[in-house]
Amino acid sequence: RYVRQLQRLQLLFSPTAADARGAREFVEKAAQDFARQHPDVVLYVSPHSGPGPAPVLRAEYLNGTVRDELIASKTSEEIVQLATKLANQSGLDIIRIRKPFHTDNPSVQGQWHPLTNKPSILTVQGPRLQPQ
Amino acid sequence: MVVLSAARWVRSRLSDRFWRVQEVLKYARHFRGRKNRCYKLAVRSVRRAFVRSTKARREKKRFLRGLWITRIEAASLEHGLKYPAFISNLLKSQVELNRKVLADLAIYEPKTFKSLAALAQRRRQEGFLAALGDGKEPEGIFSRIVHHH
Repeated sequence: RYVRQLQRLQLLFSPTAADARGAREFVEKAAQDFARQHPDVVLYVSPHSGPGPAPVLRAEYLNGTVRDELIASKTSEEIVQLATKLANQSGLDIIRIRKPFHTDNPSVQGQWHPLTNKPSILTVQGPRLQPQ
Repeated sequence: MVVLSAARWVRSRLSDRFWRVQEVLKYARHFRGRKNRCYKLAVRSVRRAFVRSTKARREKKRFLRGLWITRIEAASLEHGLKYPAFISNLLKSQVELNRKVLADLAIYEPKTFKSLAALAQRRRQEGFLAALGDGKEPEGIFSRIVHHH
């Protein structure tokens, strides 16, 4: 069963700032539809009055990563697209993955060591022969 | 009065120079010397580093293939076979494993690799018999070719 990795989306913006116009339109029109389409994501809208930091969309994931995306001077449609992109992501960090595969048990027959193909007289210590 | 554009003699000044510089310096942090701190030197070094990394992607394939070949050669010599004999006889026995997989088997699955070396050795002997014995004797069992349709 698919578990959405996005826990909550926090919309931090100031209702009077000029660059938060897209955020305000998003809250008025598209936020309810977005919340209905993604029922397992909690959407918090927290306007802080007065001049403050730039409007930001904060996404928190189940593994604890917090991702901030600037929404200053973005239209409402762009914010919807950004929110859906964050909702479809998992919280893993976005870096280059070195290998597309991983195993916990790479060797079934035992990893090679310099004594694998040598005669067993070098490794095995037999019982000490008592003088008869 | 209504002003729709700023007056001509007013010029705007950069306010986010710090972040523009950090965008370049973050890729230079692990460099040696002043090019990990000074922007002017770092710009050149970062650009050369990116160019080298794009070109090196083609070299990486060649390098890794050589590494695999070295490892397979070492492993087959442990079993008494040289690399060209091993590879050619495996191909003749229709075992189409690539060098990457063979190198991984040689490291993590030594018994499988030993059996592959034995297979190649047996096919080699059958090849010698077929060449020297001149066709009167029946072909060896490992020299039969299976046709998949």
